[in-house]
Amino acid sequence: MTIQGIVFLVLFLAVLAVFGLIVRLLYRILRAAKPENRFDRWGDRIKAVLVYVCAQARVLAKPAGLGHFVIFWGFIFITIGTLDHMLGQVIPGFGLERIVGRRLGSAFILLQDVFGILVIGALAVAAVRRFVQKPERLKIDDPAAPRQAALILALIFVLILFMYGLKGTEILEGSARLTKTNAPVSFSVAEMMRGWHMNVPLANDVFSWGHNLVIFFFLLFIPFSKHIHILGAIPNVFFRNLGRPGSLSHMNFEDESAEKFGVSELGDFTWKQTMDLCACTECGRCQVACPAHATQKPLSPFRVIHRLRAQLMRDKGGLLAKGSDVLKPAPLIPETVSEDEIWACTTCGACMQECPTFIEHVQKIVDLRRFLVLTESRFPAEIQPVFKNMEVNYNPWAIGYSSRADWAAGLGVPLASEKRSFDVLFWVGCSGSFDQRAQKVSRSVVRLMQMAGIDFAILGTEEMCCGETARRMGNEYLAQTQIQANIETLKKYKFNRIVTACPHGLNTFLVEYPQFGLSVPVVHHSEFLLGLLSKDALKARRIETLRGAYHDSCYLGRYNGVIREPRALLSRAARHVAEFGRRGRSSFCCGAGGGRMWMEETLGSRINEDRARELLGLGVDHVFTACPFCLTMFEDALKTLGREDVHALDIAEVLLEACSQ
Amino acid sequence: MKILALLKRVPDTEAKILINQEGTGIKDEGIKYVINTYDEYAVEEGLRLKEKTGGTSTVTVVCAGPEEATELIRTALAMGADDAVHVCDKALERPDPFVIAAVLAKAIKAEGFDIIFCGKQAIDDDMGQIQSILAEMLDIPQVNVATAFELAADAKRATVRRRVEGGDEKVETSLPVIVSCEKGLNDPRYASLPGIMKAKKKEIRKKTLADLGFAQAPGDARSTILRWLPPQKSSGCTMVKAEETRDAVKELVRLLREEAKVV
Repeated sequence: MTIQGIVFLVLFLAVLAVFGLIVRLLYRILRAAKPENRFDRWGDRIKAVLVYVCAQARVLAKPAGLGHFVIFWGFIFITIGTLDHMLGQVIPGFGLERIVGRRLGSAFILLQDVFGILVIGALAVAAVRRFVQKPERLKIDDPAAPRQAALILALIFVLILFMYGLKGTEILEGSARLTKTNAPVSFSVAEMMRGWHMNVPLANDVFSWGHNLVIFFFLLFIPFSKHIHILGAIPNVFFRNLGRPGSLSHMNFEDESAEKFGVSELGDFTWKQTMDLCACTECGRCQVACPAHATQKPLSPFRVIHRLRAQLMRDKGGLLAKGSDVLKPAPLIPETVSEDEIWACTTCGACMQECPTFIEHVQKIVDLRRFLVLTESRFPAEIQPVFKNMEVNYNPWAIGYSSRADWAAGLGVPLASEKRSFDVLFWVGCSGSFDQRAQKVSRSVVRLMQMAGIDFAILGTEEMCCGETARRMGNEYLAQTQIQANIETLKKYKFNRIVTACPHGLNTFLVEYPQFGLSVPVVHHSEFLLGLLSKDALKARRIETLRGAYHDSCYLGRYNGVIREPRALLSRAARHVAEFGRRGRSSFCCGAGGGRMWMEETLGSRINEDRARELLGLGVDHVFTACPFCLTMFEDALKTLGREDVHALDIAEVLLEACSQ
Repeated sequence: MKILALLKRVPDTEAKILINQEGTGIKDEGIKYVINTYDEYAVEEGLRLKEKTGGTSTVTVVCAGPEEATELIRTALAMGADDAVHVCDKALERPDPFVIAAVLAKAIKAEGFDIIFCGKQAIDDDMGQIQSILAEMLDIPQVNVATAFELAADAKRATVRRRVEGGDEKVETSLPVIVSCEKGLNDPRYASLPGIMKAKKKEIRKKTLADLGFAQAPGDARSTILRWLPPQKSSGCTMVKAEETRDAVKELVRLLREEAKVV
């Protein structure tokens, strides 16, 4: 081995050792975190890595993602080339082609050679985006973040220059493995360098060492920048939530001596939640999709993740102390995450839908809410009467529970307690029972069921709030009380499925009641009514004068994938259904989710008005909704905007009209 | 400092109240019971005073009411009260304020106290007498309809702001004292979960009338409710219902002309 080789080996091992220590520390951080089971369905997990890491499916969902795709694969090919080169410095005569064969080795060289140029192109685009265009989604309130990004872009650029330099000098020295066909770019570089009349062996050494040093720096710098995602993203995709995204974790209240509930410091997160922090690429797609951010509220999902990771990097020190296996206990609220941020979230899940590395933001926000509500009893003042109303009258409004079924008076709606056994349980929900506007929707659903001759019943005053709102407001204790009481009631009756006109109830029955031991088929009224139409149990005549746009509810479309059904139903009832730009899984929240329905919206502009303006831009005179919250939010916004000529209708109301003419 | 907070179980303000057939009370079905709103202010003020004075201060909830009041007492304990006395006796069904005050006075004397907070009235029968009768029986000053309370540094006097017609009155009182609480005095807290967990283990001392030393009925009732009557249905307003506004207006004009004969 040459002296250079020895120096390289010593440095390489040293850097590798430090890097190993850093990785070990990260591993210890995860080990110290709370447990969470993500070790099931290995096949699906491997598939997720193939689709979302190798094929970069979510990254490519936005045009700028192509740049990442190129850099990602370029990085992989170049890294293999780098290893080849590094090992060649230590083991004389080592070469990739000796292992994989001449032909494959040659193909590899070609890939490196071509990707080098492509990466430079992608870097140029990235630099223009970041420093010239400055799109909204890359905006972050940490001034160090763009500097880091610039440094990384510059380093990758330099790395590739060194790579070409290295290969160019190798060609000048008369390389056997590099040819015009497998290294065209390097050949051009060599031609260019030939004219410089330089000391070729020396230049080769300089490029080799430059290359080495950049790689060394990378290894040591990566864990302390957003490029930690190189380490975190792949396992994060592997351990992604494979279930429905709309479920929140179940809290166990059996330990009556517990003094703390929810998350107040980093050590309270599970290992997967902690891994999330290391997976953020700061692409900012969540920020652009976030309704709170779009309406100038302090919340931006990726800024929260960014600050949490910064604190993780600061507080990891606690783990290094002798005998310590926990993170330094430091509060997250209010410095790292403010209460305004925590309460601004509508839990709409747009951030999670957008995230290329499957970070789960909503659970974290709710965990912080859980701490504030359960442990500290600290929350915006207007929430307290909501909790109290839910406790006393089982609905968020201050209306006596005994009037829960008043909306159905005179409609001949049977009660479950009278029928005991029936086909469909119509879960009316709090809005459908108490909100005057939503009551009309409940009546429409009932009329349609009666037209179709469905054997159904409602729980009447036995029905309680489903618990969805309390859960998302962080009041898990109240939510569980409601859920358990409802399950007891539901168990008394025999029925085949639940039909509900509320996506929040739908979601909670689908993904949350099973956590408490009740799994019952539940469908949204759009699915159910479409089924009745398909079976000719209902006959609709299209209303030729009705023109409107369909608004996807977050908990229906994004969380539960019911996107086609409401549209199919509407196409048979209305003449013209327009589409929002933001629709389907990328729909924009009405502003009412996550308990925001019952909170003042004092910060920034109003989410429902943002959405209503988008509607007005479509030039239709109706918006069709499939969620009582969306219905209320649209009506309020249209009133505030002085556009009472535009009306909000639930799909059931439209269908009833179409079936009645 | 020993702080007492009186608590009454009352029907929820949103409950639909129906009078029973005999006219002796209200129908129980469909009614949810809650802590009397003004008593919540009393519990909260007690807790705040405890937090301010610290040390050995305690808050004891005192309640005279049926067995079912226990869960509401637990709510007050979850808010942070230390323990409770619950006078629960069949003989106390539908008593008049004098009887309740006599019972509470016994229980309170046995308990000992420096200050008593209670609601200015219960939101069910709206009598608002307990605090005054109690003050008389315990021979202590009373300050009613308090909107602010401040204990003096020597803990022997207190300044209370009370709402009077057209303004506020500032009263200085010696301790012990009974203070009845008005809306605005504070914002009662929402019990935290650790609070709820702890409340399950806190002591509620159940007392019968015999335990309190009553040989028979605790004093004479000064009033007897003969019969409860529903409020007379006012002629009220008639909602004019029609699909189209035009038809509704037509109907309104007809009603004004033919029924009310005003136009």
